[in-house]
Amino acid sequence: MAGISIQNVYKNYGALNVLKEFSLEIADGEFVVLVGPSGCGKSTMLKILAGLEPASGGKILIGDTDVTDLAPGDRDIAMVFQNYALYPHLTVGQNIGFGLKMRGTPKAEIDKRVREVAKILAVDHLLDRRPKALSGGQRQRVALGRAIVREPRAFLMDEPLSNLDAKLRVHTRAEISALHKRIGVTTVYVTHDQIEAMTMADRVVIMRDGVIQQIADPDTLFARPANLFVAGFIGSPGMNFLRARVEGGRLTLFGQTFDAPAGRGDGEVIVGIRPEHLALGQGNVTFTVKPTLVESLGSEKYVYFEPGEHAHSAASRDEERGKGLIARIAHAGPIREGEELLLSFDPSEIHLFDAKTERAMN
Amino acid sequence: MERTRFQSFALYAGLAVVCGILLFPIYWLFVTALSTLAEIRQLPPSFWPAEPQWSTFTKVASERPILLWLWNSTLAAIGSVGLSMVVSVFAGYSLSRFSLRGGRSLGLFILTAKMLPATLLVIPLFGIFRSIGLLGSLWSLVLAHATLIIPFTTWMLKGYFDTIPRELEQAAMVDGCSPLGAMFRVVLPVATPGLAATALYAFVLSWADYAYARTFLTNAQGSWTANLGITTMKGEYVTDWNEISAAAVFIALPILLIYLFLERYLVGGLTAGAEK
Ligand SMILES: Nc1ncnc2c1ncn2[C@@H]1O[C@H](COP(=O)(O)OP(=O)(O)O)[C@@H](O)[C@H]1O
Ligand SMILES: [Mg+2]
Repeated sequence: MAGISIQNVYKNYGALNVLKEFSLEIADGEFVVLVGPSGCGKSTMLKILAGLEPASGGKILIGDTDVTDLAPGDRDIAMVFQNYALYPHLTVGQNIGFGLKMRGTPKAEIDKRVREVAKILAVDHLLDRRPKALSGGQRQRVALGRAIVREPRAFLMDEPLSNLDAKLRVHTRAEISALHKRIGVTTVYVTHDQIEAMTMADRVVIMRDGVIQQIADPDTLFARPANLFVAGFIGSPGMNFLRARVEGGRLTLFGQTFDAPAGRGDGEVIVGIRPEHLALGQGNVTFTVKPTLVESLGSEKYVYFEPGEHAHSAASRDEERGKGLIARIAHAGPIREGEELLLSFDPSEIHLFDAKTERAMN
Repeated sequence: MERTRFQSFALYAGLAVVCGILLFPIYWLFVTALSTLAEIRQLPPSFWPAEPQWSTFTKVASERPILLWLWNSTLAAIGSVGLSMVVSVFAGYSLSRFSLRGGRSLGLFILTAKMLPATLLVIPLFGIFRSIGLLGSLWSLVLAHATLIIPFTTWMLKGYFDTIPRELEQAAMVDGCSPLGAMFRVVLPVATPGLAATALYAFVLSWADYAYARTFLTNAQGSWTANLGITTMKGEYVTDWNEISAAAVFIALPILLIYLFLERYLVGGLTAGAEK
């Protein structure tokens, strides 16, 4: 086991700048998740960590060893691939033991460790089968087994759950977390799914176009997003964004004027309000809306309404939402579409972003 | 979806017609070999000889050096297939995996090489082999066939390697293999069906050659291949078609046997289960 230090790593494919000045310190035993939209460079970073792609510049340490120029096999890491990449011509047992065999481990020792690991992952009855005779979930476990049997200094996982169906994914997510608690190996986990990131990570690294947007634990990320992109990426349904102006330290929203939370002078701002911070009925700042759509999820309702004069800014993750805003109301009575409704929010819970730089202002 | 009776009937009828067209020449070869010369010339032809002349086979086998010819064909084929496979496994793998500068045009250049008719190369090759003293030696065939085969096999193997996910090698390298080790321990075993199909195809290409053998080996009777030998059985005044047909059956037999032997590899499907 060991920590990982990534120092100013960048990567170009020809003229394409896929990773820009990526720096990250990962503590020994930490579970770090790289998250971001597809194509933002997550897999590239993981492959550079594994030694499967050379970095165009920068330095990587695992423990105290500079591994920047080491071959993948010499880095003492294990990797789980999105498509599992099980060796189709080998049995499950041989798949799990392959890495040990390559390292010259005696046969008896390989057998013993393969059996132990297979037992942990409940695939011990499948050791003589070939991968094609396994279900998706079983293949996933074998891929995990191949990683943990070597007791490496770090695990790298590239979207290991994305080929599983929804139910199995939630189950396996919990299992991987439990496995991490049990063996405590430093893990770098890549996903495009913010829920996976939030539920599994000690710390989340949010990326966009090869640039780190924010590094923080899940709660901080949710409560204090560093910029508009992070704010829109984390949370479901995503944060509402509204264009507004601060004048004389006062902000006007939905016709109500109140003290801006932490204004840094006057000007254009983008206001972010999480759907769950909009409440039904009177409150600190109250306004009237006409719901255009009401979705009931049983214990809660999503109330959609028009933003009125506040032009919606870009950067919402839920593109399909168009310009509508969402209030997420728990334990509501009947709410009808088209009938006037009182909503309120607490100004201390809104987020302000600079309209130009999109950085958080409070 | 259930097939209706009519669809099944149509399917089998269609297959029967196709098989009939494909198999008729082979059937006719047998009939000719088993017929007497008189029966061969009669009109309308008979579709099965009155008395099958099995003795024609023993006669041909004892009077002609069929075994020597087959042996030479086999040596030339093994040599050229071996040489071609070694070259094209590496070439095809590189074309599939590495994006070298100009790799695409290099690949296309190899592709155009296989559009050239083989006869175009006969004369330059003849000149080369004469100057290095290979005329009359089976080595000339090995090299000449390799020039024909390598473009085909390189592209077949490239296509096959393209279907093998790169993550397999990456997993092997993380597990401690060198890049070459990953190729030998993982990619090639997984590619076995593709390798077998390609080698078989190459074998048939070499086996079927006549033009090169005729050009390079005519004056060296001991090196005659089967296809060259068989054409010498056509006499200036008399041609015993039944004997030639019997010899042709001997020559076709090895290819049939190889197909039967390799069939399970050709069907393939070994990569299933590598992913997801
Ligand atoms: N071998 C390559 N050659 C050129 N571009 C590549 C290569 N691999 C990845 N890219 C590009 O790099 C970017 C990041 O890719 P990737 O790291 O796979 O993204 P992610 O895993 O976050 O979805 C993408 O725009 C992709 O097209
Ligand atoms: Mg990826």
